[in-house]
Amino acid sequence: MSAISPFLGRLISVARVSRRWLAEMVHWLRAIQERHRSAAAIREARGITLLHEWLSPQQKAQFDASRSFDVVGSHTGKRYRISFGRGTNVQEVDDTGRPVMGWCFVPSGELVAGDVILAQKVALETDERGALAVANRFPVQVP
Amino acid sequence: MFVGLAPRSMSMATQIVMDHTGDTRHHFDAADLESLAKAEERFKSLTAVGFTAAARDSAGTVTLTRSFDPTAEETLFFPRLVGG
Repeated sequence: MSAISPFLGRLISVARVSRRWLAEMVHWLRAIQERHRSAAAIREARGITLLHEWLSPQQKAQFDASRSFDVVGSHTGKRYRISFGRGTNVQEVDDTGRPVMGWCFVPSGELVAGDVILAQKVALETDERGALAVANRFPVQVP
Repeated sequence: MFVGLAPRSMSMATQIVMDHTGDTRHHFDAADLESLAKAEERFKSLTAVGFTAAARDSAGTVTLTRSFDPTAEETLFFPRLVGG
């Protein structure tokens, strides 16, 4: 019994230290996670700011109201609706505004949504054929 | 009186590069040769790796630009487009 007691005491002590260490680790990890979330929110906000700076007043109003806006293709004059997102977010629409075809193209690399849709807007408005040449088409559901 | 205020240059231009932080902005003085050379170098190195450059004038008109335009007030660079 007397030989076991020191061992038990040591075990309890190690367990306490481990628990404290674990609690500190969890706290540290949560702080990192929170910082990561804040940084991501700042990046997203910067993307939205840049997008706002480059939208026409009409597109800005449309985007603020519906999180999407229309652009006119530079070569065909067709209308496209770009929705907030980072993929499968461009739809060709007809004269009545109904979607007829989806076009998927994005700038390469890890960009925030605001940057992605700004690149899509500039590409369609200045080099529609070039943008559609790399795009993948997808069917859209007409409501 | 605005004593001590440096006159603001009327030839300041901006290059905006999309990146993982949102964007990085480089301001340069188009009237300063050294500043202009750096901006041209930046333009060439970005377009060489596939970035597209789009310039916007004061009226808001956006045009794709394949070569460095020292008179462009604002140039946006975005990475090569790929099918999603």
